[in-house]
Amino acid sequence: MSIDDFFWLYDLPTHQLALLFVAVFVGFYWIGSILLRPLLRPVVKYTAGANDIVGYVLSCFCVFYGLLLGLIAVTAYQNVADAGANVTREAAALSALYEDASRYPEPYGQNLRWLLRDYTRYVIKYAWPLQQKGVMPEEGTIRAAAVHDQLLEFQPHTPAEQILHAEALRQFNHFLECRRMRLYSVTSSLPASMWFVMILGAVLNIAICWLFDMRFITQLVLGGILAAYLGTMMFLIFDMNQPFRGDVSIKPEAFEALYERMNEG
Amino acid sequence: MRDPHPAPPPSPQVVSRRRALVDGTATTLAAARLLAPALFTGCSLGLPPRARTVKVGMLHSQTGPLGISATGLRDIELHAFERINAAGGLLGHRIEPRAPDPRSRIDLFVRKARELLDDEVACVFGCWTSASRKAVLPLFEEARKLLFYSVQYEGNESSKYVVYGGMVPNQQIVPALDWLMSPAGGEKKKIFLVGSDYVFPRTANYVTKKYLAGKPLAVVGEAYRPLGDRDFAAIVKQVQESEADCVLNTVNGTSNLGLFSALAAAGVDPEKLPVFSTSIAEEELRSLVPAQVRGHYALSCYFQSLDTPANRRWISEFRDEFGFDRVTDDPMEPDWCLVHLWKQAVEKAGSFETEAVRQAFRDGLSFAGPGGMVRLDPKTQHTSKFFRIGRIRGDRQFDVVHSSDAPLAPDPYPQIAFPGWSVDWTTDGITRGPEVKIDGDV
Repeated sequence: MSIDDFFWLYDLPTHQLALLFVAVFVGFYWIGSILLRPLLRPVVKYTAGANDIVGYVLSCFCVFYGLLLGLIAVTAYQNVADAGANVTREAAALSALYEDASRYPEPYGQNLRWLLRDYTRYVIKYAWPLQQKGVMPEEGTIRAAAVHDQLLEFQPHTPAEQILHAEALRQFNHFLECRRMRLYSVTSSLPASMWFVMILGAVLNIAICWLFDMRFITQLVLGGILAAYLGTMMFLIFDMNQPFRGDVSIKPEAFEALYERMNEG
Repeated sequence: MRDPHPAPPPSPQVVSRRRALVDGTATTLAAARLLAPALFTGCSLGLPPRARTVKVGMLHSQTGPLGISATGLRDIELHAFERINAAGGLLGHRIEPRAPDPRSRIDLFVRKARELLDDEVACVFGCWTSASRKAVLPLFEEARKLLFYSVQYEGNESSKYVVYGGMVPNQQIVPALDWLMSPAGGEKKKIFLVGSDYVFPRTANYVTKKYLAGKPLAVVGEAYRPLGDRDFAAIVKQVQESEADCVLNTVNGTSNLGLFSALAAAGVDPEKLPVFSTSIAEEELRSLVPAQVRGHYALSCYFQSLDTPANRRWISEFRDEFGFDRVTDDPMEPDWCLVHLWKQAVEKAGSFETEAVRQAFRDGLSFAGPGGMVRLDPKTQHTSKFFRIGRIRGDRQFDVVHSSDAPLAPDPYPQIAFPGWSVDWTTDGITRGPEVKIDGDV
């Protein structure tokens, strides 16, 4: 079993996913309280100040674990932000290339514009739904190659055309870079070892709570609150783990706006 | 010794663990029962229901010399599939198109066709040149899957697993020759045959020579250049020296750029020496220089400039999706019709299975396409269609100068060229006549 086996969770709407994470963590804590607490509590029950000791241990543990979760959450958010920025840069490069294409003599200009529009449409209609399923879209490469072929077909005859062509090729290379980075982001995610450490930490955190000697109902409520927050943090990291998946993911708005402008004539 | 932590005496206010457990479980179950339908609406085991899909292959060159022509086919198929999906799919299945790029290379056509068939597509719409179709045909026959081919071709072929949507010579070249010999066509006397060097031009010209034998229009020359080649200066010189008064052009792909550049450079006047092209349509015109092609002609079953409500609606819908300045053309219109004929057959068969779909052909399917009514002939698995001649305008469109009165029935084995050959897929399949040597003497 790998982390990929849980990617179906991204198909759930965000509120349901959040609820599921909270329910799993709280449920785990409550079931553990019922089943394991009687076994664990005798370890500390007859020690004076045992709750204080468990409390100190929990505090120390929470500091380290909280730091880990915080850093991972920031990294995950940074990944999403970077992927979003790449998408915007790709759309911007495409837009600049489209502008350059309109300066080319016919029929190259029109052919280039048609190909660029075709690429943009493909990204919106076909690539994005695939990305949202965690699949790297492949046919965009064909369309990008068609644009490249068309660019290389053109032979500039005047100094102005040479400058325009050089600029278009530079812009095209920049576009390819951004496109490649977007594609890498489709499958990039936190490594499995990181998930292992996070989940183990959450389990240990909850296990420490089971050691507290207090009224049962109080333990259910207080531990439940902690477990619910742990679940929320895990949900947040999981949701940001894949920039293009889930309800809260990068949308093709930059490409949609560009496509609309391309079709204005 | 006294217990340092005596257990507190039971109090009536303190809830016992057992009671808490029972109450907690009951409350949780009640809450779950109450909230679950609202929270997990539409979910089955936490997953939204997924639509069933059927994969359909699109085998068109998107790059290379033929990319310019074939991408229009890919787009019109995507348009058709998107519309079918938007209307609820086909037999409850969402069509999932697969479009690899054979890059105008025959070896890649074979490889990509094999990949599509291994991917278990229901059928494939594809190929542009006859060379590519012939290369992949054995794969389809072996896999028993249907290939839908929408480009005009030379005939002299029939396969149980191919549905041919384009014109064959008796629907394109023969009526064009008749028109050229008629007063409306200028009663031409000498024709020069120019083509790309592969099976379609060679066979089409063989049919032409056979048909014109003993007729007032004489073939005064025949010349070929490799597919993709653009050096036509020598051929144009040959044409001029032959004193031909018209040219039948079976050149394909970007080679047409070279041919028309050479014609323009040699100062050929379309009024005196018109070129009649079999493989030039609106999609190709966008890459040709208007001044070089204006006044020449194309032989086709469809032109974008056809002024009918159905055609205007079709163009408008295509442009809404693919861009305000996109064009529609001959192979795109038959391709659109083929997708819808396949859809009809699948619906009739209630299955995507090849044999069931082929059985559905037997009842005779027809579709009102943008260029007029199209009927799939179950015997030949070819379609009947209108024949039209268009004169190229300066705006990369055509003026329709001639149209057949009714759709012409297909005949992949015209007896003038292939005596003894015929096909009937509703009974015995292909009846073979004597072998015909295409490059031999006529």
